[in-house]
Amino acid sequence: MASYSSDRRSVLKIIGAIGATCAYPFAGDELYAQATGAEAHQHTPQPHRRFFNDADFQLISRIADLIIPETGTPSASGAGVPEYIDMMIARNTDQQLVVADGLRWLDAEAKRQGGSGFLDLPEQKQTAILEPLCELADQGNTRRRARNVQFFALIKALTADGYYTSKIGLIDELGYKGNTALGSFPDCVHEH
Amino acid sequence: MPDQIYDVVVVGSGAGGGTLSARLANLGANVLVLEGGPKVNTRTDFNTHALPYEFPFRHIPTMKPGKPGYDGERSRGIGGKTMLWNAVALRFSQRDFKGRQHDGAGEDWPIDYAELAPYYDRIEREVGVCGNYDHLEDLPDGIFLPPVPLKCTDIAIQKGAAKLGIPVIHVRKATLTRAARTRPACHFCGNCMSGCDVVAKYNSADVHMFPALKTNKLTLRQNSIVYDLAVSDQARVNEVRYFDRETRAEGVARGRVVVVACACAQSVALLLMSKSSRFPTGLGNSSGQLGKNFIPHINAGFEVFMQDFIGKPSVNDEGFLDHAYIPSFMHARKRDYPRSFGIQFNYQNHRAVGWARSVKGMGKSYKESIKARYPAYLTFSPYQEMLPNAESYIDLDTENLDEYGLPRARRHWQLSDSDWKLHNDMKRWCRAILESSNAQIHTESSHPTTNHEIGGCRMGNDPKTSVLDAFCRSHDVPNLYVVDASVFPSSSEKNPTLTIMALASRTADHIAGRLQKREV
Repeated sequence: MASYSSDRRSVLKIIGAIGATCAYPFAGDELYAQATGAEAHQHTPQPHRRFFNDADFQLISRIADLIIPETGTPSASGAGVPEYIDMMIARNTDQQLVVADGLRWLDAEAKRQGGSGFLDLPEQKQTAILEPLCELADQGNTRRRARNVQFFALIKALTADGYYTSKIGLIDELGYKGNTALGSFPDCVHEH
Repeated sequence: MPDQIYDVVVVGSGAGGGTLSARLANLGANVLVLEGGPKVNTRTDFNTHALPYEFPFRHIPTMKPGKPGYDGERSRGIGGKTMLWNAVALRFSQRDFKGRQHDGAGEDWPIDYAELAPYYDRIEREVGVCGNYDHLEDLPDGIFLPPVPLKCTDIAIQKGAAKLGIPVIHVRKATLTRAARTRPACHFCGNCMSGCDVVAKYNSADVHMFPALKTNKLTLRQNSIVYDLAVSDQARVNEVRYFDRETRAEGVARGRVVVVACACAQSVALLLMSKSSRFPTGLGNSSGQLGKNFIPHINAGFEVFMQDFIGKPSVNDEGFLDHAYIPSFMHARKRDYPRSFGIQFNYQNHRAVGWARSVKGMGKSYKESIKARYPAYLTFSPYQEMLPNAESYIDLDTENLDEYGLPRARRHWQLSDSDWKLHNDMKRWCRAILESSNAQIHTESSHPTTNHEIGGCRMGNDPKTSVLDAFCRSHDVPNLYVVDASVFPSSSEKNPTLTIMALASRTADHIAGRLQKREV
């Protein structure tokens, strides 16, 4: 848990960092973890998974898609987010425990509601299970956060990170237009 | 050539070392620069234009695969931090040099604005600084290239701040807005702090040192980590001892003059490590002041959404990161603490959307909410001057050695009651400006943080209370100089680099004069 619980504070720390000591403020190791390899990210589902078994991978994919569904642009799983989550969780044993507990809780909760598992529930019921967790997770990091809330907060954070650093999320969905050469910087011509 | 004696040996190649060594070489001195890191080619070696999805873990490494440098604390590369800096270039004002005279706290510099002004002029001509002539008493104008237009969101902040009587000006940066002889103008890709691969942004390697190599007076030694400055019986530095970063082979350099310019904390660490029977607590530390008076800039931080821009189309306003600046305004207002603060804002790079995870909700509305806020997001970071106090200092961590077996520089800092008053008032003013600009605060820093490292080896007229004299020369060791932000007796709230360069240029002239007169 230690690694994830420090995230929010890390984010606040990064905000303060400007000038020469910080490469650029919101892409620090704290957010996206460290990388050493240079293999290009692939959007097609990878046959090789590092942590989740098939059943858990489907569950994680479903939760990610409930957090970021398909709209005019693909959903989380359409942008390779479950593969990203699998890769990130595989490197962090604390997070692995949180996820294992969370998935067990989810299964028990689905059975309590009369399903044979979370994936068998109708979308409305799936959402009804997750939304209260989301509300608690959005209140920020508190020390006494329940395990299932920790689980949801972790999956939401990784889903957001994975989606908005993907080509689909950054370019197609958000419309990032930087990283190009301009002859001059345009004056603001809007009415403000 | 182990027996060659250089006129000047410079340790470090960043803003201070690069400026000084190029100036001295151009004046005809034989200069050796020892840089702990490798030579880095800014045109090819940084991941300047990479996007996060090119990397499996979505983190963009600073260097391209197989390129060394900029990965550790001690060794960076030729050019030092100027390779990755944000290039904000502000002159200090008379108040900044004489703060004690102004409000009775902290320490005065042994020089004043008029003394440094010609060197600011020289540096601005050499490197190219863009900015607007604002005629502010507390932020002297320089020699400027044309400023860059403000971003739309800057104008919203400018209008909000104006309602409170606070001016928002064009930022001043050492980035070309008009092409120079050997450097193109900025093309606004927005990746300044990932290395500028066209050198529109100043870096000391490409702008100062590499051109100075043509004099045949300058020798650059990369991968040479200096760990000891040995003194002779006459209290002069006679050996600069280093080892190779890769092979660990040891070497010795000799110079009539030795200049330390390793960036604040590292310079202090090197002097503290250079112990001898004559200087048992560190080189040139007869005052006991070495490492003391550490006064880094203290930051707060906000992430905000400009509500008038929520839901607007995404535009390319990366520019060269921040285009605007809020200069100190409190120094002229009634307050119950000394000193002041400035604000840098709107310097985020839109390749990174780390704030998305902390937006509330899930599902379609969550996704739409992030898309709508993407053009409205900006960072807002005020930073303040802190006054020296006994709990803020740099020392060596001898328990915790780095990968080379050298003790790490350890930074200690604590805010005094007066610093806290300023910090809390600074945050109050920021909230007021943001509210007045119709900005919604998304996150706010809960604790102060530091950024620019300043102090630890201060200048002064009194050898009992300072380490260096008014020319950045050791009071104790007549051929030892330091040129980086460690020499500042007070930090101002303004970014330090232009002042480091002006001081380095002035010190270079002073050293050249002494060499000519054979004083050293």
